[in-house]
Amino acid sequence: MTTSTSADIVVVGSGICGALAAYRLAQQGLSVLILEAGPRIDRARVVAAFRNSPRKSDWMSPYPFSPWAPQPDYSPKDNGYLIQAGPYRYPAEYIRVVGGTTWHWAAQAWRLVPSDVRIKTLYDVGVDWPMAYDELDAWYQQAEEILGVAGADNTGSPRKHPFPMQPVAEPWSMRRFRERLAPAYPVVANTVARNSRSYDGRPACVGNNSCQPICPVNAQYLGINAVESAEAAGARVVPNAVVYRIEPDAKGRIVAVHYYDPNKKSYRAAGKEFILAANGIESPKLLLLSASDRFPNGIANSSGMVGRNLMDHPSSSLTFYADEEVWLGRGPQSPSSINTMRDGAFRSRHAAYRLDFTNISQVLSVTEALIAEGVYGAEFEKQLRWRAARQVNVKNVLEVLPHPENRITLASEKDALGIPKPEAHYSIDDYTRRGADVSKKDFARIAQMMGGTGLRYSPDGQFANNQHITGTLGMGDDPAKFVTDRFGRTHDHENLFCCGTGVMPTAATMNSTLTAVALALRTADHMHPPSRGKSSSAAGAEPSP
Amino acid sequence: MNARIRKSTLLLAMLLPLAAMHAMATTATHPASAASAAEVQRGHYLTLAGDCEACHTAPGGKAYGGGLPVATPIGSIFSTNITPSRIDGIGAYTLQQFSNALRRGVRQDGKHLYPAMPYTAYAQLNDADVRALYAYFMHGVQPVDTRPSRTQLPFPFNIRASMAFWNVMFLDKRPFMPDPAKSAQWNRGAYLARGLTHCSTCHTPRNFLMAEKPSHALAGASLGTWFAPNITPDADSGIGNWSDQEIIDYLQRGSAPGKGQAAGPMAEAIDHSLRHLTEADLAAIAVYLGSIPSRREPKATRAVDTWGRPYADLASIRGKPLPKNPDQMTGPQLYDAYCATCHQDRGQGSFDGGLPPLSHNTATGRRNTDNLVMVILDGIAWRTDGSGVRMPGFAPELSDRQVATLGTYLTQHFGDPAATVTVGQVRMLRAGGPSSNLVLLARIGLAIAIVILIAILVAIVRAWMRRRHRVLPSD
Repeated sequence: MTTSTSADIVVVGSGICGALAAYRLAQQGLSVLILEAGPRIDRARVVAAFRNSPRKSDWMSPYPFSPWAPQPDYSPKDNGYLIQAGPYRYPAEYIRVVGGTTWHWAAQAWRLVPSDVRIKTLYDVGVDWPMAYDELDAWYQQAEEILGVAGADNTGSPRKHPFPMQPVAEPWSMRRFRERLAPAYPVVANTVARNSRSYDGRPACVGNNSCQPICPVNAQYLGINAVESAEAAGARVVPNAVVYRIEPDAKGRIVAVHYYDPNKKSYRAAGKEFILAANGIESPKLLLLSASDRFPNGIANSSGMVGRNLMDHPSSSLTFYADEEVWLGRGPQSPSSINTMRDGAFRSRHAAYRLDFTNISQVLSVTEALIAEGVYGAEFEKQLRWRAARQVNVKNVLEVLPHPENRITLASEKDALGIPKPEAHYSIDDYTRRGADVSKKDFARIAQMMGGTGLRYSPDGQFANNQHITGTLGMGDDPAKFVTDRFGRTHDHENLFCCGTGVMPTAATMNSTLTAVALALRTADHMHPPSRGKSSSAAGAEPSP
Repeated sequence: MNARIRKSTLLLAMLLPLAAMHAMATTATHPASAASAAEVQRGHYLTLAGDCEACHTAPGGKAYGGGLPVATPIGSIFSTNITPSRIDGIGAYTLQQFSNALRRGVRQDGKHLYPAMPYTAYAQLNDADVRALYAYFMHGVQPVDTRPSRTQLPFPFNIRASMAFWNVMFLDKRPFMPDPAKSAQWNRGAYLARGLTHCSTCHTPRNFLMAEKPSHALAGASLGTWFAPNITPDADSGIGNWSDQEIIDYLQRGSAPGKGQAAGPMAEAIDHSLRHLTEADLAAIAVYLGSIPSRREPKATRAVDTWGRPYADLASIRGKPLPKNPDQMTGPQLYDAYCATCHQDRGQGSFDGGLPPLSHNTATGRRNTDNLVMVILDGIAWRTDGSGVRMPGFAPELSDRQVATLGTYLTQHFGDPAATVTVGQVRMLRAGGPSSNLVLLARIGLAIAIVILIAILVAIVRAWMRRRHRVLPSD
């Protein structure tokens, strides 16, 4: 039996992009319904679960797993939800709860650099974006004011207006990197959505150093803040609503989505317009799931491009001991980076990259290493103190180019509700690998300048994944090559829009959230332009000191 | 944030049954004398000391434009426009009329102000300071030509005239008289504390007519939600064990390490007002507070800020799953989830005191736990000094049961173990304090008062008759 509900706008997915699009539209007086597959969770219980977890470095461990809304998990072993078709493993992680995956992000909120949207024209690689960088400035600014973003001025991303706040105080470790690597490498504050002062009713960071998996004090903007804003503006959130089919009419307009509750009872949510914002894996999965006689390739897939051009940011890294005590772990986890390799003529030959320094406390990893080495007793304590004070790590964040064969498809395996699991087809091309090779020279030089000993490079050809799921719903003007148009509207369905990192045509070198949020706000404003005189500006900020 | 004003409305409810003849204020008109820049500047300082802006500027509104709605159980009282706008503000007030409003609670048109305006304290002001304030409001404030919403309270609270009778009983019209036997510093402190900074408005308990009890000056009083503590020099119940410097630090920064920190209406008073005072003035207030009569709580055994010590039992909950029902979370589980992030595993706070310890803290050491509940619910937010949210409020996240469990856990381990928090108390404080039937009470009271008045009249007439009767024979 089917139960019905309806709204002007139905948003599928309650992550930061869907929720902020919903917020914008609810502010316009539209009725907005947000459907979220996972449950609603409470920050403090995540904090308590994290403190109680024996697996502190597993950032999925404090989050609940819901059989009706499964999420990939690889620790202690792969739970088999995201099927790996190869040839390279793509162990993407995301959280299916109200608020989405930013629950455990590190709040890096970067803009693109202007060349990122023109790499085909400038370097004859990848594709150009269907918009200029300047067109994004206003939405970037609004996104930054909502999220409360701070950063350095010299990261390669021009801006017309200042950041809404100053960066969080520089940790000692990052100061030492900055001082010792200058002038060869300018180490600057990362651009992050983390409060250096009380902002929009949220407190300043107090340096718990657990940004991932959970900011315990709400100093870092999360999707749940966006959800709460949307609700305050009138949007309604239905948790545990697993959308499994998008229903078009004969003309191709979308008329409803169908969802299951945890007991597989089916519901139908009708609407005038629809926003698909279920991330770069679940969104294309849902489009593909919705195949019918009329749309045999799935919804929005006349081009056959749904799920294709999957991208992320692979990283290789170097861990070593500095010749002085820097004590990583004070302040936020990702405070600083080097941005000089985000653009240049070299991009015609190899991947651009950022160099990122971790500031995660090394006590846990050093402890595990010492136990594995069989060190105990007084020597253990001595070694722990010495290594935890000196162990540092630098990693690259490598650009990946769009390739149609890197894609999300439907697996033959099904989840607990009988919905096909997603399957990842992924590879890392030579362009990206060449970038990794070049960055290795930077690693060596940085280690040398820090008096590094005990150098441990990540093995050649092995990359960590950064969970910046990009592509799969790419924006472009040509309906034969792209899923969505320049405003995120699907080429095939005039009232179906996509928000999220999936719409980004290329991945560039920055964490993808801020760009996706800016695009989501832009999509919402395109759907229903804010009325003149009515403020569409960001959440009210408190006065500066 | 309106607890201070709320108390004044309770006062209003009590005095109205005593409705009496409306005393017409006579207003001598004096032309505004030309004010010097120095006088205007001094007036500005005095407005900060008097915290005028707290009520007379609405959030996001223009300075002194009024319109701050004060929700009360009997309806909203709106603060007035006190800019020099001649139409909507006090631009047409003479100095004398300004003085009458400030020190007598009487408007230009002769009507009485509601005692949300602390004129019983401002009555202490000397003429020179009234002149300086007048100079500032006439010359240092931008006129705002908007009229705030009018206060319209239900009968009998709409009879402003009833204030006149109460004023006769409780308004001391004499300005502050310096005591030549005391130091200049003491006199300065007494002048400020009794007058502009109006400490007693919150900290002095009131009698059944809601007038301050002089015998219990600054001995502590509930504002319905927050509790304004005893600030007399008693070493256990008051602040007698605070050094002058600790009092000054507290009034400047809202925190005295190892003693306590301001929250609720006190944080507001420091934020808007006290932190702007000179160190010399704050020192004078500290000296004065140290000189007033001590009041001791009958059951006090030790100073409220000396209870507890760092304590950890988080190890006891490790490895145990959280209960599905959040109301069944234990004290340490709630502490782990909501408090330990800032106050640390043993409640010791941060090394520099920026995040305060929970032991040796008035928030956990006071037998009356209302402030502990209030700070858990509301947190601490400063509006003007840039520090903003100093502590998040947990009202949306924590249930009444959870606050009671957590609050009792905190007092047991970090504070006075005899202090407890109950579910009913949390429910009542979350709802904004004890429920009130003020309108009904006032109307019943009015009826009783009329009966009493008639009885008194009858008695007077009889007495008069008797005297006549006694006197006549000797004629």
